[in-house]
Amino acid sequence: MLAIETSGLTKYYGKARGIIDVDLEVREAEVFGFIGPNGAGKTTTIRSLLSLIRPSRGSAAIFGTPVPSTGGETYRQVGYVPSEVSFYPEMTGAEVLDYAASFFPGGDKAWRRSLAERLSFDPSRPVRSYSHGNRKKLAIIQALLHRPRLLVLDEATSGLDPIIRLELFQLLQELRQDGTTVFFSTHVLEEVERICARVGVIRDGRIIQVSPIDELPGREMRLVTVRLAGGAAPGNVFAGWGRTTEVEGKPGYYQVSVQAPVNQVVSRLAGLDLEYVRIADPTVEDLFLAMYEPGAGSQGGDAHV
Amino acid sequence: MFRQNVFRQELRLNRRSLIVWGIVTVIVIGVYLGFFPYMKDPDLIKALDAYPEAIKSALSLNAAMFGDVNRYHGGLVMLYVLLMLTIYSFMLAGGLVARDSDLGTAEFLYTKPVTRSQLMTAKVSAFLCVMLVLWTLTLAASTVVGLMVAPGEYDIGVQLWIHVAGLLASLAAGGIAFAAAPFINRMQGTTSLGIGLGLGFFMIDAVSKMTKKLDALKYLGIHHYASLGDAAAGKPWVGGMLALLAIFAVGTALGYVGLNRKEFTG
Repeated sequence: MLAIETSGLTKYYGKARGIIDVDLEVREAEVFGFIGPNGAGKTTTIRSLLSLIRPSRGSAAIFGTPVPSTGGETYRQVGYVPSEVSFYPEMTGAEVLDYAASFFPGGDKAWRRSLAERLSFDPSRPVRSYSHGNRKKLAIIQALLHRPRLLVLDEATSGLDPIIRLELFQLLQELRQDGTTVFFSTHVLEEVERICARVGVIRDGRIIQVSPIDELPGREMRLVTVRLAGGAAPGNVFAGWGRTTEVEGKPGYYQVSVQAPVNQVVSRLAGLDLEYVRIADPTVEDLFLAMYEPGAGSQGGDAHV
Repeated sequence: MFRQNVFRQELRLNRRSLIVWGIVTVIVIGVYLGFFPYMKDPDLIKALDAYPEAIKSALSLNAAMFGDVNRYHGGLVMLYVLLMLTIYSFMLAGGLVARDSDLGTAEFLYTKPVTRSQLMTAKVSAFLCVMLVLWTLTLAASTVVGLMVAPGEYDIGVQLWIHVAGLLASLAAGGIAFAAAPFINRMQGTTSLGIGLGLGFFMIDAVSKMTKKLDALKYLGIHHYASLGDAAAGKPWVGGMLALLAIFAVGTALGYVGLNRKEFTG
């Protein structure tokens, strides 16, 4: 069964574009990355899935059940961490958690304590005294209290310090192993690379790519960084490869992306008088930027998996 | 299914405002009803006679009420209490619905396994509960002070009708606010709505009494249907009260529709 399935999901805000014909299939027990720049339509997609907004057309289902337009029992299986976290300021963290737990009778106190300990969260303080990071922790804990089958995270790591972020990633992997589906929306691509098996890329309201993370177009791309003898400019040495740019803050070091087998790259570099060379796999961010270069938008088409 | 947890939470969130408005209402009743023994002063009656009839009519002032604690309380003191509690009623009902948009808690609450109609029911129930407590408190304060300043004259039966009419007028105000609240995303908006409509209805009632030509205006406000003066005279207008109940019912029903169609865009 699919955890999330959307078909032609479209939302217009008046005449303004929200999302257009979003088709997604997220499998059970996978961590699915949902990436795109700000304003691409990530949050609109999520809000449509959660009945916070009504799609202009198209459909969405969670575990095979059509998303209700007015909320309800479907969301018993869902935990949600919004990008902007707000709670009742006069309540303490513990009171917010009590309130959240009251929607799911038979809660597990030990699980709640364990989550608070792992995320180094003190629930005894009033919400109004929490930093952005602590509010985010509270949002994560309340979303996980009932051990949801589907966890929807919208920029969940913003505000978290690196140690807590790593702990969250570890927690998400454990949840996935236990059968939880994680829909992980972010614009921090390194996070997607770290925990997601598949990824959907959204741009200007349209899905432009859905694939295993290793199969994103341009995955065979190499990033070559060189320093020629004396820091000389490479001129047209790399003609036919990508655009050559000087590395910021490192005079004489030049970087170029090339889409070619490694042996071809090495043989071409072999004839040069080099002081430094580094051939690296691209990060997802590099791929993402490549996909966003002018003319690259239609590269993946409306791919659906 | 009734969501007790949401109901309790909404009550809790409005506990402080209930206490503040309760205290203010008791003080107003205590002070104004406490003045009653001094209102019989001939100099005061003479001064009142000097007012133009239109102004006296607009402010529901007449010499007869100063000799009768029930009419004084029902026709004058409760008029201002009703003004206050109508404003609060607008603010309370509007705030119950608009708060989640304003605070950003909609993403917490509206993604829980609960339908919007269930949320609305819990919010309306919290509103009814607060209003019932407030008007019970008002009746209790009126009775205590009334029996102190005019023992033997203060008629609890008459006052009960006055307070029932007042309660229903507050509910009608709440119904109007429920109908409007899904279109409001800020608590400030509900405050403006409360003050604006509360004063507006009061002014409509006052202006409609100033001249026969404007008499028809009274049907646009809720004070006419509460008809506190008639209730104070021992002739409560049951038809008016039913009209108030209908306004509450229709407004609240529109509120259900509005909330079910509301979009939370952040």
